[in-house]
Parts: sequence; C-alpha cells; structure tokens
Amino acid sequence: MQRKVVVTGMGVVTCLGSGVATNWEALMAGRSGIGPITLFDAAKYKSRIAGEVRGNFDPHGYVQPKEFRRMDRFQQFAMVAAGEAVDDSKLELPPTNPFRGGVVVGSGMGGLSSIEEGMHLLLSKGPNSAPPLLITKVVINLSPGMLSIKYGLKGPNYGVVNACTSGTSAIGEAFRIIRESRADFMIAGGAEAVVTELSVAAFSKIRALSTRNDDPERASRPFDRNRDGFVISEGAGMLILESEEHAAERGALIHCEILGYGATDDAFHIVMPDETGSGAYEAMRLALEDAGVKPEQVDHVNAHGTSTDLNDKMETIAIKKLFGEHAYRLAISSTKSMTGHLIGAAGAVEAVYTIMALKKGMVPPTINLEEPDPDCDLDYTPNTPVSREMEYALSNSFAFGGQNGCLLFRRV
Amino acid sequence: MDDVEKRVVDLIAEVLVDVNKEHIQLDSKIVEDLGAESLDIYDMIALLEDEFGLEITDEEVEKIQTVQDVANYIRSAQSAAS
Repeated sequence: MQRKVVVTGMGVVTCLGSGVATNWEALMAGRSGIGPITLFDAAKYKSRIAGEVRGNFDPHGYVQPKEFRRMDRFQQFAMVAAGEAVDDSKLELPPTNPFRGGVVVGSGMGGLSSIEEGMHLLLSKGPNSAPPLLITKVVINLSPGMLSIKYGLKGPNYGVVNACTSGTSAIGEAFRIIRESRADFMIAGGAEAVVTELSVAAFSKIRALSTRNDDPERASRPFDRNRDGFVISEGAGMLILESEEHAAERGALIHCEILGYGATDDAFHIVMPDETGSGAYEAMRLALEDAGVKPEQVDHVNAHGTSTDLNDKMETIAIKKLFGEHAYRLAISSTKSMTGHLIGAAGAVEAVYTIMALKKGMVPPTINLEEPDPDCDLDYTPNTPVSREMEYALSNSFAFGGQNGCLLFRRV
Repeated sequence: MDDVEKRVVDLIAEVLVDVNKEHIQLDSKIVEDLGAESLDIYDMIALLEDEFGLEITDEEVEKIQTVQDVANYIRSAQSAAS
C-alpha cells in the first residue's frame, strides 16, 4: 500500500511580505504587492514594474551573515522560506537518521543576477575580476545543497529546473519520494530572483510582460479582458512534506494531505501553450487519477492564471474540458493577481496559498478582474475573498517549454 | 596600523563577517586564528586584488600566513610597481 503524504510545515517570502501569516492577510485584503522596479534603474525598460521582495525580508534570523554573503538572492529566499517551514513543522533537525530526510528545490533561472554582475565585471575589468563565489551562486542545485548542510539532511537531494512549473514539480517529486518510501520527510519548494536587467529586458522582447507601468497594482489582471501580460516577481515558497506515520509518531500538526501529482508536456511550442489545453487537462486529470478523486469532488483551483492572453484562455478551456458543468461550480483563484508571477517559485508559493485556503475555508480573490474576458467565463472569485467549506483543491503550473504540473491537496 | 594595514583588515573583516573585527590583529594567522577556509581565501584575494589593483599569484598566497604578511606583500608589490 502507498504511504500517505502530509504537509507539516510552510514558509513563504514574496512581495506581499515574509511569512505565511503576512501573506494570507494580504491575500484576504486583496492587496497587490506590485510596484515600480527599484532593484535596478528601469527608466529605459518597456516594463518597469515588478513584485519585489522589499525591506521586510530579514534573512539573518535564518542565515548567518557569512553564508548570506555567499548566496545569490534566490538562495537567500529559499533559506528564509525553508527556515520558516522547518520552524513551523517543529521537526528536530538534524534528524536521528539523516538519510531519511531530503530536499528538492525548483528554480527556473537560478543565479541569473550573479551571472549578470559577474559578466559586467569580466567585461569591464578582465578575466581576473571574475567573482570567486559566482559558481556556487549560479547553480540551482546549490540551493538544496545549502539546505542539506544547514539541516543535516543526507537523503535525496536535487534541483528541479522547469521554468514556471519548477516549484510544483519540486513538490510533486518530493511527494513521490516519500510515497515510495525513499525518505520520511522532505523540504520541497521553489525559489526565484530574476527581477534583473537582462531578464526583464528579454521577457519584454517576447511581449510577455505587462507594460501598465503607471498603474502597477492593477497590472496583473488574470482573466480580465484588458490584461496585457504577466508581472515579474521574486521570492520563495517551501513545504515540509512527511509520511503520515512519521508525522503521527512525533505528534506533528498536519496542515493537509497531498493526494496526487500530475505532470505532462504540451510538445507544442517553446513559449506558447497548446491552445487546446490538452497538456494542462491531462496534468489535472492525472493528479485526480493518482488519488482516485472524481472531478466533481474538487472545490477549489489555484489557477496558473498568469494574466497573459494565451495562458488564461487555454487554462479556462482545460478546466472546462476536465470538469464539464462542474467547472462553473469551482471556486477558482489566480493569486498572481496580487503576487505577480514568481516564475520557478510560483507553484510553491501557490501551494502554500492553496493549503491555507483549505484550512481557513476561504477562497482568495482574483483582483483586478473588472471586465471579464468573454472567453474566460468561470468563477475566478473576482476581487473579494469568498467563504466556502472545501475539501479538495488543485494547484496548477504551466511553463515555457510546455511542462504542466498539477498538485491535489485534501483538507484534514 | 598604517593605511594599507587598515584596509587589509577591513577587507578580511568583510569576508569573515562572523569574526569580531577587533579580533583581527596584525599577527593573527588567517587560517588558524581567524578560521578562514579555501573559499574565504579566494574571496579575500579577489577583494584585495580589486582594492589594490594588483594580482596575487598562487605562489605568493602559499607564503602568506598572517594579516601582517598580506600588508607586507601589498606594500612590496606597490613599491615594485612604482
């Protein structure tokens, strides 16, 4: 028999603040975290807005100053979110058997800001000026590597690179590792910090980013007719996943159960989703099949909902294809309307929000949904949160590259 | 401490953030007393090279043990260059 997998810890760092409680409060207030870019001078950029993690990000509670100096920003976010999740779980670390605990961290672009800084130095001052700490800042698997050192975890450990699906993939992988008894508990999530010059400039060149620069808080507007692209954001989300018996043995508080994970690829186009939604549909269907849950049992979907023209239409089609008439009874949210798009961290942050929605019996709103796109006619919980008893919820992530990931959670 | 020595201490303190700066004395051994490991050494070399506009070869690094050794090396490299 397959082992049950539960969530016993959560942590987040986003433009809405550090910590699960702060984030939840912002979601329930329908507050946007988007503002003008301050991390670099964006005056000449087409898109000049982002969801930046601001002064409220205090890493030194979880990371010593020396380690902090050695980390890229995405790794710092990962450490802080994981620190909160570990504290929340009350796990005693390092564990008695270090080989039964592991880490999977997803990131789309890793230490891009360190690459940009390093290249700038190299071009201006020559090869001898390459930063000695660059390599460890750039590589994505160094993030789970750093967490293994901090918490003494010698079990399965790797990075997942899946663009905007990375965080969801990491949680899905960790879920399977525990279910297959390759570990008893895992730290899993995603981290991203690519509000950088090169990234913002290049995403703009493929018309992916919103240019609603004079109205940042209303720029991310999933499913709205006047949406004009996503808003780039940064941060991290981390979960502690545990086998049910391991959690029970130590009397842990259980936030929810993870029941299923579905993963597919569109095999269609490098940046555009398959407009028929067949890949996204199949990922959701597989997540339900994995758990033996029927579509009619699902209450809530935390949508990928990026606020791009193509994604929001495609996702709506995929949801209708899977749920039929029940699609209209789902409480759907795009929390990206408030956080913007955290790329490789998005799925992990949204997993936390989905679990909170189940726990609290509250559906986060999709803000800025003022004039619904006629092609997007489901209940996306426009503008104000809704109280609803819920048992099953899905969280979707879709990536450049066509990777689709879907996680199924159950309230306990 | 003269100007070069002060700047060297500042840079070492920047790398070894968790060492109290008052503990960084001219006769402190960088590895044994201050606890620097290989990545810290590479980090310090890069900062020193940038600060003083010189290149420190691996052979020279081998010979350096104390904070004073670093300052002495920089002064000799500077006078050789001028």
